[in-house]
Amino acid sequence: MTISIWRYSHMILAVSSAIFIFLATVTGIILAFEPISNQIKPYAITSASNLSLAETIETLQNEYNEVVTLKKDENDFVIASVITKEGRSNRFYINPFTGKKIGDIIKKASIFEFATNLHRSLFLKSTGRFLVGLFSFFLFLIAITGIKLIIKRQGGFKRFFSKVVKEEFAQYYHVIIGRYALIPLVIITISGIYLSLEKFDVLPSNKITHTKTQISENSKKIAVKDFKIFNATLLNEFKHLEFPFSDDEEDYFVLKLENKELYINQYSGDIISKGDFPLPLLASNLSLKLHTGQGNFLWAILLLLTCFAILFFMYSGFAMTLKRKKRSSSKMQNISDKDTAEYIILVGSETGHTQRFAKQFFEAMCLKTTSVFIDQLNNYTSYKRAKHLIVFTATYGEGEAPSNAKNFETLLDVIKQNQTIQYSVVGFGSLMYPNFCKYAIIVDALLQKNKSFMPNLPLFKINNQSLEAFKTWLGQWNDSTSLNLKIQLNKPTINRKKLSNFEVISHTEINVDDTFILQLRPQFIQKFQSGDLLAFYPEDDNVERLYSIGRVEDNILLSIKRHEFGVCSRQLSQLTQKTMIKAKIRRNLDFHFPTYAKEVVMIANGTGIAPFLGMINDKSNDVKAHLFWGGRTHDSLEIYSKFIDKAFNKKTLSSFHVAYSQEEGKKVYVQDVIQENADMIARILNTDGVVMICGSIAMQNRVLEVLNDITTEKLKQPLSTFENNEQIKMDCY
Amino acid sequence: MKNTHTFKIAPLLALTVLLLFGFTTKQPSSAYKCMIQMTNYTGEGAYIVISLLNPQGDYEKTIYVQGDDEEWYHDITEWWKFQGRKRTDIDAITGATISGGERAISIIEIEDEFIDRGYKIRFESAVEDQDYFKDDVEFELTSESVKSKVDGKGFIRYIRLIPQ
Repeated sequence: MTISIWRYSHMILAVSSAIFIFLATVTGIILAFEPISNQIKPYAITSASNLSLAETIETLQNEYNEVVTLKKDENDFVIASVITKEGRSNRFYINPFTGKKIGDIIKKASIFEFATNLHRSLFLKSTGRFLVGLFSFFLFLIAITGIKLIIKRQGGFKRFFSKVVKEEFAQYYHVIIGRYALIPLVIITISGIYLSLEKFDVLPSNKITHTKTQISENSKKIAVKDFKIFNATLLNEFKHLEFPFSDDEEDYFVLKLENKELYINQYSGDIISKGDFPLPLLASNLSLKLHTGQGNFLWAILLLLTCFAILFFMYSGFAMTLKRKKRSSSKMQNISDKDTAEYIILVGSETGHTQRFAKQFFEAMCLKTTSVFIDQLNNYTSYKRAKHLIVFTATYGEGEAPSNAKNFETLLDVIKQNQTIQYSVVGFGSLMYPNFCKYAIIVDALLQKNKSFMPNLPLFKINNQSLEAFKTWLGQWNDSTSLNLKIQLNKPTINRKKLSNFEVISHTEINVDDTFILQLRPQFIQKFQSGDLLAFYPEDDNVERLYSIGRVEDNILLSIKRHEFGVCSRQLSQLTQKTMIKAKIRRNLDFHFPTYAKEVVMIANGTGIAPFLGMINDKSNDVKAHLFWGGRTHDSLEIYSKFIDKAFNKKTLSSFHVAYSQEEGKKVYVQDVIQENADMIARILNTDGVVMICGSIAMQNRVLEVLNDITTEKLKQPLSTFENNEQIKMDCY
Repeated sequence: MKNTHTFKIAPLLALTVLLLFGFTTKQPSSAYKCMIQMTNYTGEGAYIVISLLNPQGDYEKTIYVQGDDEEWYHDITEWWKFQGRKRTDIDAITGATISGGERAISIIEIEDEFIDRGYKIRFESAVEDQDYFKDDVEFELTSESVKSKVDGKGFIRYIRLIPQ
């Protein structure tokens, strides 16, 4: 398995610091509740922020024998340390208006005490602090590499927050949550590192240096309540005030504000000396605030959520790593040498999926001939006896080479083969990305230009690791060579207990196109709607077959084409009424009817019409719907016509455009009809309408080309703009 | 027979005496304001224990503790030999730790009978991962010394006392 340096460091850092980060996160979750629980205590007097310090001091001096210190804590609770009239020393929260005690000091709960110790030093004192600081730094690096990976994955910094392609649960949410949690995560780690460093004498000193101020000689004794500085200072700027220790003239008030410290003569009220907080001290205070969430309810909640996000990253990260490892676990063992093999297989894989296909192909080849050699595209070199080159490659980002194929282009240029080699390129990718199999296209073109190579099979693209498509290509390959390869594509295991029963309600005759409509009803109530998928798992191979659902009343409507050798479609075509069949509903949220749009264009060919038959009958009149359908002949339409007529009568379908490709005279395809209605399509897309496409991949590609022409010509924007805006919904196979 | 009788009475008498003295005679005490000024050291907040030593130099009682996390008390080794065994309740005479350069003012109470009788007051200080000073500040309690300023040897720059 090859992976890019970024992903590799992201993973290695995570693995090496997992235990520490886990401990810090769990204790962090506990600690987040401390500021939250303190904040909800009723000791903050919000209206007191505009009260002057002089007023509070006066009330306190009247109320108590002596005041030692007055302090406002991070929760804005005012704490006074006093000697009461009874001569007892005491410390408590006060109401700054009345000077009266309103509560005892909150004692740090032992659970927080414990969690704090574990969080910052793992009970290992200095060693622990160092480790925590170090792993905090690691977490910071993980966040940074994570940002880099998201940028790469999304295809550029500008697309950072654009839609993420959903492949697997763990991967999808790792990215989705990652994008939002990264910012607080970076803040937490940087402040954490700062706080750790503080204990190791490596930061500049945060001591306050005082400078004496000029005092006028003839200052007189005045009452404390008349001190200029105390009258000018409001409670919301004030932090801490220490009263003079004794009556001696040299003892003074020490007043701390947000960013400075003042010494104040206890008789004249003059400022004796002033010290600004140095930058390191301000940074330290800020770090503490940001790291602990003290005094800020919302920030504390955000910190708490970030902690949960970290736990999720750990889970999903490990889930992904394990999966990837599993995919590429058993290493490929070459029997022959690169210079003796006739067949050379080169692989470009990013996540390991492509590798799996290549490996199965390689193993099948090994059964037939010993002269096969498999390697990564990056290791391209001279192959003395090679006759065939087969390239399996994925695409990374916006048409870039996967990490183990980055050097292929250069190597191909430099290294010359002595003989002519026939080549075939198989691209793996997902149609959900704008640059489907782009790198495979590039490789194919490079080989075509190279004089040492001659095409054997045209470029073949495989969407979403489709086994069917791969089998199709294998058929072509077998035809082109004398080898009759058989690949036992792993039969997945299915837990049949998790499938539900569906009763066959009706079953139309099989029409001229070998197509029929099947209506099923779930035995028990289930949530589903048009656009969802029904998955069948024929017992022969357990491979999932998905059919798009159209919801008509409470029934599932499926439009199925019977394939000559199709295991599943054949079985389904033989079903009789009232029999039960096992299947599973797959929610397909990306292909639900967009009730938020004003106008919707539905484009389908063949059996792809099924979800739309449900949608046009199940919607309100508010959203205008236009249906485009491509079929072979007039007769093809017949099994669908009753659903379309019904929608017309209910006025839930605004227009219906049909194209026949096999009628006498002119061959018309659905994309031709779309081209004819270019103005309407452009208008709908421009007014936030949605285009939905369901049917074959070939049709989808043609339709997307036409749509792109329409948008570039009429709206001066590429189709991808609308795709990113989620105005194009597709469900093709 | 008579002897055994006396033996039975003896503990009872002792108990009575103890009860009488233990509960009825609350010694008159005075409050003092105490300021501890720390040196400009770097690192964690210091734990400081103020205790009373009898003329023989043994711990008599704990007067005040700066530092409220019991976990670190054993770092103040000498005092912990005394407090660790007895575990007297010191909740009421506990404050927060003081960091380098800071100062703290607290009110401490000392019974009048200990003044001018050879008793000493001791300030012990300890900082996590750094040093421990058994007698950072230590001086005899006299009617003069309870209103003085005394320099420290360790983390404490000086302490000041004045009667309330």
